[in-house]
Amino acid sequence: MTLEILAFALAALLMLGGAAVVALTKDLMRLVVGLGAFLLGVAGMFLYYGHAFLATAQVFVYVGGVLVLVVFAVMVVHRANGGRPLVTSQHDIGAAAVAFGVSGMLVMSLRESVGGWLPESGTSGSSIAQELLGGHLVAFELLGVLLLVALVAVLLIVGPGERR
Amino acid sequence: MTLLWGFLWGVAAVATIAGGAILGVWWERKVSARIQMRYGPQQIGPFGSLQMIADVPKLLFKEDIVPALADKAIFKYAPLFVFGPVAVSMVVIPFTAGWAPLNTSVGVLFFLAVPSIEVIAILLSAWASHNTLSTLGGLRATAQMISYEVPRSLAVLAIVLLAGSLRPLDVVAAWRWWWMPLTFVAFVIYFVASIAEMNRGPFDIPEAESELVAGYFADYSGMRWASFMMAEYGAMIAASLFGAALFFGGGWPFGGALGVITLIVKAILIMTAIMWVKWTFPRLRQDQLMSFCWKALTPLALVQLVVVGVVLVWL
Amino acid sequence: MTILVLCALIFGVGMYTVLTRREIIAILAGVELMLGSANVLFIALASFSGADPGVAGAIGLVILVVAAAEAAVGLALVVTLSRRSKRSSIDELTEVNG
Repeated sequence: MTLEILAFALAALLMLGGAAVVALTKDLMRLVVGLGAFLLGVAGMFLYYGHAFLATAQVFVYVGGVLVLVVFAVMVVHRANGGRPLVTSQHDIGAAAVAFGVSGMLVMSLRESVGGWLPESGTSGSSIAQELLGGHLVAFELLGVLLLVALVAVLLIVGPGERR
Repeated sequence: MTLLWGFLWGVAAVATIAGGAILGVWWERKVSARIQMRYGPQQIGPFGSLQMIADVPKLLFKEDIVPALADKAIFKYAPLFVFGPVAVSMVVIPFTAGWAPLNTSVGVLFFLAVPSIEVIAILLSAWASHNTLSTLGGLRATAQMISYEVPRSLAVLAIVLLAGSLRPLDVVAAWRWWWMPLTFVAFVIYFVASIAEMNRGPFDIPEAESELVAGYFADYSGMRWASFMMAEYGAMIAASLFGAALFFGGGWPFGGALGVITLIVKAILIMTAIMWVKWTFPRLRQDQLMSFCWKALTPLALVQLVVVGVVLVWL
Repeated sequence: MTILVLCALIFGVGMYTVLTRREIIAILAGVELMLGSANVLFIALASFSGADPGVAGAIGLVILVVAAAEAAVGLALVVTLSRRSKRSSIDELTEVNG
């Protein structure tokens, strides 16, 4: 029992800590590390609910793929600067009110769908593959098309590279 | 209680890698020496086997330099995240028929996915050194590692298709001897892609001792450098063990303790082949490396998948 | 209940990041925060309602893939934009044409 609470707490802490760093830090690389912590926390949360495949896919795609893309983008965009890339922000009470107002709305509207203080950890019974290749085959194929389109789009947008 | 077991497994994984690194470095020095027609370490211990034990205190006592302009927190903690995922990935290896330290239903995918954490840690440690050559080495290493993940995963997918499960124990149990000729191409692809993943052998342009002055870990001294080295040897040991388990059936003719020994022997043969390749071939240029991955290995892996798929229809 | 509050909170933090940060890549990171927390909340609600875990996992995978593809395209746009105008702060990127 306590092991589950510990696992949930660890994943939740990673998520929350990562998110706080993303919102508040002044250093762009620390922001990226915070995002990485958040993504690992999400993977841990998926694992808590028993979706092992989703957790591994999250690590593979996000921590190994998207995060690497983000760091590359930071390096390309801030190449000219000598020092560390800084993030400026305009902290605003109105923005905070809007953002946390939306949070409150989410909690209020979904309050009845959840039960209990601590969610039960689960094990996934039927497999994702049976769903994706069975009844939801169209969704699976469309995902493939989406990825292909995204790949071609990135190549077209970025173009053949800079002239030196 | 489970926490304690988990912690002990973690300690065991780290100890295995440390011990494996010591033996691996010794074995590599002997193999490379013989390939270059010389003897290698001989003085300390029988056949020079205790040489690393003499080297470790030297590493521990080196001055710990942190560059002035570096991002101190990232500089100090990134090597931990380079070494950690390698140790973690070793817990899903099926050491014998019916036992792996961690028996998950997605073990194969876990083994392939965890090194991607290492990729981001290498990129961050290259960045944190705050000098151009390190950053360049880090970018090259990252581009190489994420590119070679694709043919590696496709090659392992061929075996997964035949076994019908992502659980390593199921793969070892379902393994048949005639899978060896059928998936031989997949093994070669896995072998080459694993070497490229570890930035070793003919694919070590990011380390490039003679070109980039050790590349992304140029500014790391003493034990920090040692953690990069242990990560490389640990990755080699893990990739050899996993390849032997998946492509050659683990402890195949035997089970139990004899199976573990068979697996280790097969893994040592694969490791020696990896070292042999490093000391025989000249280094590949970055563009040759990338075009080899995308224009040669990936289509070959896809063809192998088609072949396996066709064979599956007959089963 | 804890998971609902956690995900809603992080969704709010993500939205706050998008609203207040002036650097494009930080804004994209905020969008990823929102998508990630929404994905986790979806999976959590699926486990509470007793739905088929295969379907829940499949939908979670779809959300993950779509979010990753969108992040990739967004970053490509950021890189091209910064090449043309040498700026990355959204305060300065105010013109549509060039």
